[in-house]
Amino acid sequence: MKPSSEYTLAELAEQSQTPARTIRFYIARGLLEGPARAGRGAFYTDAHLERIARIRKLQGEGRMLAEIAVELGGGGGEAALPAPEAWWQYEVSSDVKVMVRDGAGPWRMRLIRTAVAELTGRLRASEPEEGGNDGGGNRE
Amino acid sequence: MAAGTESNAGYSVRNARTGEEIGLAMQRLCLSGRVLGAGARLLARHVFQSSESRPVEVVYAFMLPRDAALRRFTIRGEGFTAHSELRPAEEAVKAYEEGMERGALSTLARQYGDGLINLTVGNIRPGETVTVTLEILAGVEARDDGFRFRFPFTLAPSYHARMRAIETGPGEGEMELPEDEFGDVILPKFRADAEGLHAVGFDLRVMGDYGEVASVSHGLRVRMEEGGLRVSLTAEGDVPNRDLVLDARRGEPRAEVLGGRCADGKLHFVALAPSVCFGTPAGEARKVVFVLDRSGSMQGSPIEQARKAIEACLGALSGEDEFGLIAFDNRTEVFAERLLEASKSNRERARAYLETIDARGGTELARAVEKAAGLAGAGADLLVLTDGQVFGTEKIVARAREAGVRLHVLGIGSASQDRFLAQLARETGGVSRFMTPRERVDLPAVDLFASIGRPVASDVRVSGTNVAPQPAKFLFAGTPLVVYGEGQSLKIEWTGGELELPVADGGRQMGETARLLRGARLITDETEAGKLKELSLAYGLASREMSLVAVVNREGDRAGEAAVTRVVAVGMPRDTAFGAYFQPAAMAAAPMPGAVGRPSVRLGSLSFRRAEPRGVMLRAVFSRDQLADKLPADQLMELAGRMEGDGGMPGRDKDERLLETVRAVLAFLKEGHSTKKGAFRVHVQRLVAFLERQGGTRDVVAKVIDAAREGRVIPGEWLDGAVTWKEVEAAVTL
Repeated sequence: MKPSSEYTLAELAEQSQTPARTIRFYIARGLLEGPARAGRGAFYTDAHLERIARIRKLQGEGRMLAEIAVELGGGGGEAALPAPEAWWQYEVSSDVKVMVRDGAGPWRMRLIRTAVAELTGRLRASEPEEGGNDGGGNRE
Repeated sequence: MAAGTESNAGYSVRNARTGEEIGLAMQRLCLSGRVLGAGARLLARHVFQSSESRPVEVVYAFMLPRDAALRRFTIRGEGFTAHSELRPAEEAVKAYEEGMERGALSTLARQYGDGLINLTVGNIRPGETVTVTLEILAGVEARDDGFRFRFPFTLAPSYHARMRAIETGPGEGEMELPEDEFGDVILPKFRADAEGLHAVGFDLRVMGDYGEVASVSHGLRVRMEEGGLRVSLTAEGDVPNRDLVLDARRGEPRAEVLGGRCADGKLHFVALAPSVCFGTPAGEARKVVFVLDRSGSMQGSPIEQARKAIEACLGALSGEDEFGLIAFDNRTEVFAERLLEASKSNRERARAYLETIDARGGTELARAVEKAAGLAGAGADLLVLTDGQVFGTEKIVARAREAGVRLHVLGIGSASQDRFLAQLARETGGVSRFMTPRERVDLPAVDLFASIGRPVASDVRVSGTNVAPQPAKFLFAGTPLVVYGEGQSLKIEWTGGELELPVADGGRQMGETARLLRGARLITDETEAGKLKELSLAYGLASREMSLVAVVNREGDRAGEAAVTRVVAVGMPRDTAFGAYFQPAAMAAAPMPGAVGRPSVRLGSLSFRRAEPRGVMLRAVFSRDQLADKLPADQLMELAGRMEGDGGMPGRDKDERLLETVRAVLAFLKEGHSTKKGAFRVHVQRLVAFLERQGGTRDVVAKVIDAAREGRVIPGEWLDGAVTWKEVEAAVTL
């Protein structure tokens, strides 16, 4: 492993192509550790640089800082684990479940909920009567 | 309201890691300054204080009001006062960061797209109090008889196709915008409950002979002062969850030129020429498309208000008019694929369609405007009803301009998108009004609609002065012509008329205010970076290209000490549903300890409630008894809505229709609406035209028509019940 370089905040900003204010914001949000030494002579390391690159990559993938903070929150060994995903599960009828990945924007979620509601309505409307011919056949 | 650190009733700000409570970084925002008929020169005082043990950097985000620009700021603390410098944005950021590195108190006011501002104050020491006073030049919504002034005390979360929003905690939301378009702008956290946030207040002087000043947003204390009125908040402080909205009115409209000689030796002015100076509009048939914003942020009161407003306007359409109706969110839905004649059946179909419209989705306004332009053809008029809660407005304005139609905008919202909507209307040759959801929107809509498609002056030209920006080519009833320029006099010409206004020297301060207001307006309208920089330098005003910065070196500053960044939270705009933007997402689904690495599953059991059929209330037909319990304006709205396509009122036979039409005219007159004046002037014109065609030789009808033209009130209870010809004859004879 190459020895860690030391950067001032301005250098870190330049290296990472990230405004210094944004870096301070990341630190305040708990996304990034503070400088390696406090007060005069404070410096940042390659680890900071790598972390910023990772944050930026996740942002580029559409993650919000709040989500990234949760994802990176554990740090250390946990970073090697795959990212967790949260899903909503709707039981729209006794034999159909719909899974919806969490994290969509409010409008997207509303659209999905509307679609699920429609599906629920349609399935309920065509729900076979108890004891009816519900078995077999080429159904999707 | 106590905005201190001792009590944050119901809510506290806590460190995400330690759980320790954090004191509010910004304590108070107080607005002062002078508001004139042409614009305002404001001082926004921000008081910052840190109760943390480390230096803090505080970021406060706000939206500029309409036609506004930052001029300068002063920063004060114990033993020091410093003033800002205007520098190119990159240089200002560099100076700020160098100051931060040295441990100096550094302040940066930087403007981003859409008029978003980040005011950043860095290295506030523990326990230190710092006051930043920003000077802001801002426009007003000028009207013939006064103005409406709005100042944003909060920031509206808004739609952008690439924005991200999330509920990060109970009643707290965050929003992020794409960096390639908005740079490093930081948006505030949005709180559903604004209690416990910083206090806001104001103490303003409304200059001029305005007899009446009122506010639909805040409780006012009004005092007479030399040269105008002084208005302040009745309470000690308020919460940051809505704009300050001030309305100033004078008795009669009159032309006004505010100007004076500046240091450059020139006479700078802003002139306001009310529309009544230009003539009366022609009563030609109109082609109008209603464009209704049904995005998620409109849910609740705004969409209800917008629906009512369109319904009221449908009543003002005559049989010769053609109309279209479009509802949009991220999709655009048309009521009909072509313009329809405004027959009774088409208007009723449109009303029924409106009842099916609910709020959902994003705000793809530009697409809707393009669709409407395709429907109506170039040169048509669009009436857009929206809260304007959308980011990326420069592109929308450009696309609307290219569409070649006139946009008249009725904004409905508690937090200001006034800047955007004013620009949208102006740049396309239309007019705008911005209402709050808590005031009547239908009457202003009818008033605005009465002037749409019927300019009082066309091909307006201004000569003899160094005028910039060029004033509107078309002028509409109720909205004055505003001209910024330099010189001794101003000559306005239009098709069929001209007007000369002398420019008096009202002193250097007035001249300087006029010059700065012009600069702010020019900067608002400009998009090209090089020109923005030139304008900033010429007028000494900040813009997207030029920022304000100040660095104060204090005794004991310690270099390299990392400040902790705090972003000042704001309240959700009152009447905008928190859930319209923010819903729990991945945060709420944060993996529980031990669950890392495998999917977490939320077993949601949604119960789907069948939607109640909409429009029960809207469809209700009021009996006379019910009408009697309503306000006169509601009753007039109801009358307007019942008008037939031929301009008359309904009835079983010709005689009853005639009598009901006479009664309607008398009712409108009694409430101040004649053929020339009042929001319902077009309705009265149509009723009168019907009487002229159908009234025959009845003397009483001729007298009612005369009264309607003269604006003469005939005493009587015209709104509250059936009348007979005998009663009408007796009343008009008196």
